[in-house]
Amino acid sequence: MDMLLLAELSINGVFVGLMYALVAAGIVLIYKTSGIANLAQGALAMMGGYAAWAFTAMVGLPIWLAIPIALAVMFLAGVALERFALRRMVGQPIIMVIMLTLGLEIMLRGVLPGLFGSAVKRLDVGIPNTPLFLGDLFLNRATLIGGSVSFVLILLAIAFFNSRLGIIMRAVSDDQSASWSVGIRVERAIAIAWGLSAMMATTAGVLWGATQGVDWSLSLLLIKALAIAILGGLDSLPGVLIAGIIVGLAESLATGILDPIVGGGTRDVVASVIIVLTLLLRPHGLFGREHIERV
Amino acid sequence: MALLSLNNIEVVYDRVFLAVKGVSIEVPENGLVALLGANGAGKSTILKSISGLLKPERGEVTRGQVTFEGEDILALDPPERVRRGLVHVLEGRRVFEHLTPEENLLAATSMHADRRRVKSLVEEMFGLFPRLAERNRAKAGYLSGGEQQMLAIARALMTRPKLILLDEPSLGLAPFLVDEIFDTIRRINTESGTAVLLVEQNAVAALDVAQSAYLIEQGRIVMSGTAEVLKANPDIQQAYLGGGSNVDYHAVKHYRRRKRWLA
Repeated sequence: MDMLLLAELSINGVFVGLMYALVAAGIVLIYKTSGIANLAQGALAMMGGYAAWAFTAMVGLPIWLAIPIALAVMFLAGVALERFALRRMVGQPIIMVIMLTLGLEIMLRGVLPGLFGSAVKRLDVGIPNTPLFLGDLFLNRATLIGGSVSFVLILLAIAFFNSRLGIIMRAVSDDQSASWSVGIRVERAIAIAWGLSAMMATTAGVLWGATQGVDWSLSLLLIKALAIAILGGLDSLPGVLIAGIIVGLAESLATGILDPIVGGGTRDVVASVIIVLTLLLRPHGLFGREHIERV
Repeated sequence: MALLSLNNIEVVYDRVFLAVKGVSIEVPENGLVALLGANGAGKSTILKSISGLLKPERGEVTRGQVTFEGEDILALDPPERVRRGLVHVLEGRRVFEHLTPEENLLAATSMHADRRRVKSLVEEMFGLFPRLAERNRAKAGYLSGGEQQMLAIARALMTRPKLILLDEPSLGLAPFLVDEIFDTIRRINTESGTAVLLVEQNAVAALDVAQSAYLIEQGRIVMSGTAEVLKANPDIQQAYLGGGSNVDYHAVKHYRRRKRWLA
């Protein structure tokens, strides 16, 4: 095996993994505040990509303006989703809530391409297409930038959870009645989590849209994000970073090494295998919190 | 005028079960009032009707008024009631298990905008409960029961309440810790002038700290008065204080004093 190819695969894998991790971080953000695994996260990323595209191509705004507007609109969309769909489900069994998010995912997958047309939309964020040569290494610029942006955003999210608002959100996830009893506006905290999560999804949607174009397949990011969130532990942001790198690396190496042998298609198997193995061997993930039991 | 007054409150769970049947209670400014009664008498339900935490348990106040500082608060949601100065320490402590003690305290400061004030409040609590400062590196879920109860009280005090509702603070604690908790309650009441409404099964300890008390059975108030009067009442002594030590138990073998108010 060629060392150079291996290095290339690894570096690209790490950065792609970080970009997946950004979608997973959105799932973790919601799980950490409300205890719900949001299966609509992939569709939110797709929606964010469509929103950014719509503001440039349909409204005609420059890209540097379209992205912040898309972020703001998606924040409101996330808040509205919580307000009008999720809040009605308070007190229902958790499986019903998860089914609702899955239903949203499927609905958005159908509705958005239906509205905007199913052809792949080109989203140009100004990253040149020419590859970057680092010595003999041949690297993808969009992936490098996307991975770095994702990395910074996840670090910001980690910092956020140590701020006072972040502490309040963690308190909400621990015990909603107790949060109410000390004056925390639980509904508002959860709504903010949904808004922030939708913004993260939008960033991911734009970054992925810049590399592969915007169409319904952006919502397939859900599978990778789920694999990462489950491997990292559903409520751990540092876990998401590390799991993201692991999944990205595994995928990239699998494509590079196994594909020539078995004839392709291993990329999408990796995430599924990771989900199954994690759930069998370590259900709370690498860094997920365990149930505290005093003896 | 009383700080808090309940006027003929009726609470129904699940639209069918009448748990509290017309209860009226007053807590004066700076007062320390105890609610006594057996399991299932409706004490916790009364506290929840005051703090607004009935809704998650599908309970509802169907009749009567709850006024705090002269204003009807029944229409307000729980966080808004906390902002008016009324805080509820839930039964079973209910600390945020995965947060450290300091984070637990910070979580209760959503109503304070001033960061320096928050910081000085945290320091004040650590001064009041030095054990919490010592255990600050552990997650609250790993603290001992007594420490968790201290933390729950400190967390409630972070909201700067005028009235604190305490639900069974001595539940599951060793006797020397019970003394410590009640000592703390007395200090909170006398030093900062915070009014306390205390729900307790431990009637001896509660009547020692409280100025007045209400006795509740099956959702009704059956007796009320100052702590001294209740302590001296023979029915209360028999049923709740384990009194009557000079009784010849052979002679009363087949006789249990009847709770006359239940007839």
